Amino acid sequence: MLILLLIATPLFTIFFKLFDKPGDSWQHIVNNLLFGYFQNTILILIGVAIMTFLLGVSTAWLVSNYEFPGRKYFEWLLILPLGFPGYIMAYTYVGLLDYTGPIQVFLRNTFDIQVRGSLLDIMNLPGAIFILSITLFPYVFLISRSSFVQQSKTLQEASFLLGKNRMQTFFKVALPMARPAIVAGIALASMEVLNDYGTVKYFGVNTFTTGIFRAWFSLGDASTAIYLAAILMVFVFVILYMESAQRGNRQYASSKDVQKPLIRTIPTVGKKILYTSICTIIFLVSFFVPFLQLLHWVSMTYSKVINADFWLLVYRSFVLAAVSGAVVVALSVILLYTLRLSPFRWVKNITKVATLGYAIPGAVIAVGIMIPLLSLDKWIYTTFISAKAAGLFFSGTLLALIFAYIVRFMAVGYNPVEAGFQKIGMHVNEASRLLGARSTKTLWKIDLPLIKTSLISGILLVFVDVLKELPLTLILRPFNYQTLATKAFDMATNEMIAESANAALIIILTGIIPIIFLNKLIKKREP
Amino acid sequence: MKILSLQNVHKKYQDAKDFAVNDVSFDVEEGEILALVGESGSGKTTVLRLIAGLEHPDSGTISLSGHIIVSGKQSVPANERQVGMVFQDYALFPHLTILENVKFGLKKSAGNPTKIAEDTLNLVGLSEDYQKYPHQLSGGQQQRVALARAIAPNPKILLMDEPFSNLDAMLKDQVREEIRQIIKKTGITAIFVTHDTKDALSTADRVAILHKGYLQQIDIPKHLYESPVNPYVANFFGKRNEIIATPLEEGWHTTFGFIADTEAKKYKNKVKLMFRPEHGEVVKRDGQQLTGRIVKISYFGSHQMVKLADDEGKRVTIRTNPGRSFDGVERSFFYLWKYDIEEAF
Repeated sequence: MLILLLIATPLFTIFFKLFDKPGDSWQHIVNNLLFGYFQNTILILIGVAIMTFLLGVSTAWLVSNYEFPGRKYFEWLLILPLGFPGYIMAYTYVGLLDYTGPIQVFLRNTFDIQVRGSLLDIMNLPGAIFILSITLFPYVFLISRSSFVQQSKTLQEASFLLGKNRMQTFFKVALPMARPAIVAGIALASMEVLNDYGTVKYFGVNTFTTGIFRAWFSLGDASTAIYLAAILMVFVFVILYMESAQRGNRQYASSKDVQKPLIRTIPTVGKKILYTSICTIIFLVSFFVPFLQLLHWVSMTYSKVINADFWLLVYRSFVLAAVSGAVVVALSVILLYTLRLSPFRWVKNITKVATLGYAIPGAVIAVGIMIPLLSLDKWIYTTFISAKAAGLFFSGTLLALIFAYIVRFMAVGYNPVEAGFQKIGMHVNEASRLLGARSTKTLWKIDLPLIKTSLISGILLVFVDVLKELPLTLILRPFNYQTLATKAFDMATNEMIAESANAALIIILTGIIPIIFLNKLIKKREP
Repeated sequence: MKILSLQNVHKKYQDAKDFAVNDVSFDVEEGEILALVGESGSGKTTVLRLIAGLEHPDSGTISLSGHIIVSGKQSVPANERQVGMVFQDYALFPHLTILENVKFGLKKSAGNPTKIAEDTLNLVGLSEDYQKYPHQLSGGQQQRVALARAIAPNPKILLMDEPFSNLDAMLKDQVREEIRQIIKKTGITAIFVTHDTKDALSTADRVAILHKGYLQQIDIPKHLYESPVNPYVANFFGKRNEIIATPLEEGWHTTFGFIADTEAKKYKNKVKLMFRPEHGEVVKRDGQQLTGRIVKISYFGSHQMVKLADDEGKRVTIRTNPGRSFDGVERSFFYLWKYDIEEAF
């Protein structure tokens, strides 16, 4: 119970602080900035939704329905962009399209084309949509691919026999049946958009997330930050609501288990070339080219950047991420085990609260944690030390940062652990207790060894997410404390893009490991 | 009139050693119900899918109402064949209502799709619940919807893959009869696949039996049952007993006793006498009979099966009425009123 209360802290904070008077700068923001925040946030959300839909669904359909050269590789190559945090993708592309970047240099030297500045300028709203879409479309790709693959083959056959061709079948049967999955994927991508700070900040596009930062850092106005966070949360709940409401009365899984393995169609040679090119281009744009650019930068700068300090940074980031991962998984085990042994229904619903954090943007969590901690510090100081001095006790410590990571990434670690528990079922546990082992002993001797892989994957997934995390870390990190993510972002914003590539590359490479791992997990479930 | 014709159709799946369908040829008459029977792996479902256009043969031709739809590697795609199919798992679109499912295959040009769909649903005995989704219906109702969806576009031929396998025994007899009546009422030509001989014999006008990809026999049910062309077909439709018999002047000498038969003198060597359990009768001692020791009596409600053994331990099974009591009886007499003679040696 205590765990749950702690995890819900940021939400409570924001809710209760809403009743306080808004800060001085609130009026200023309402008058001058709020409309822009709204407009930009909504435009980016819509733009990314459309782009991820087009990119994700088209590639998922090709990969799951046709046999063409490279199909097997694209199944996981197209997931790799997930390893690219948006902000890194953003400044990599800025570098790529720069006056001195490879594309303009190539055009100039080969064709003597001088590109007008505005043409390749992506540091604007459409640019942000582009960057966020190519990093987030794999969510839609992954989830709709597994939906397409799991659709009963006979439904497609039934549609053919009723006179529909392949195109009509796609639009009338396959697509509507995959709709809940696709919408879930887009909803996931939208959450990431709302969470994003690095990309929009770097591109100078003002959204609610940048607004929170502005209120917090520049204006020093906590209650205005809270107000903005509350509005951002409204966006989150609207998206969550739309996602669950669109399911309606229908059932989308086929009711029968009798399913034929999906046989992929072998298209004509021309179409094979077309399909392979589509997937190749998307892969090149969304991963390979920016990745090469990063490698190039690293090769230019590694001798300057990589020194003892850099390794210390890597070490600290890894420890921070590993500790967070371990704590999240440990808490998940405690929660789930209590749940398993608890006879009460309401316990089940309450634990769902624990996984809500993933939907809440990092900046909101940061603000929601910072404010109660600041007042706690104040109270401790005035009560125990001196009424006059004010200092930091919890706020601005690693403890606060780890706590925030736990709130935000609880779901990431919780879900694999839950899946693990579900898979082993209740009977082994009951058998063990009937044989006389106490429930704690049963947990150590029976359940935990059985769900070992789930535990490891939980830790790994949290680890990677923490490593990439930017907005929350920027707000809550101790003074002058750097992680790989913040270092990369700071360097990039300070015109040291090439140097920042070293930290970025480590983040991406670590991020790729669980992606491949995750893909294997999904593949196993497919028929 | 011939509506469907298969000629020398071959099909081998990738990576498979043997042909799934091997040189199969047969015709189907308009308005006829044909059953394709066989064990699993006999190729019966493949034949159905070849006709539907969901698989393509390696060689052979298939023609449907006068048009060649398959000739060697050339074939008309499934969505242009006007073939209706009821899938084993029904394959109802879960995201569409009952009515939308039935309307799915109807063209706007064909009149009023909603009206046609409703009429077809009425025909199969579903007069309400048009707006429900498939998962809200029972298995039997889902099957009716699948049938309605298949026949609504007025296909040239209706194919059904194991139409009765998902129904429980109680429902099966009723559904079998209903479906037969619906098909006959619409006058549509139908082919269905089944592994259940009872389904085939009771529902179909003609039955085709497949074994290892080869067509064994195609005939009306009575002929298949009573005059099978080979032992495989004979055994497929029910148990057959065999007794080894030596021909004598007036009849057969067997280990169960003597059978008077003037046919016997035409044979020189030992033969096998083949007969189904219902072709024998258990009787009280009365003239010339066979006799055996009672080994086992199995009670089935509608009848009993009596297993009898000769002195060497060879066994035959005779069917008898359920009222007969065998309490305290160790040996029983029986006679055969019908058997086939097979020269096996």
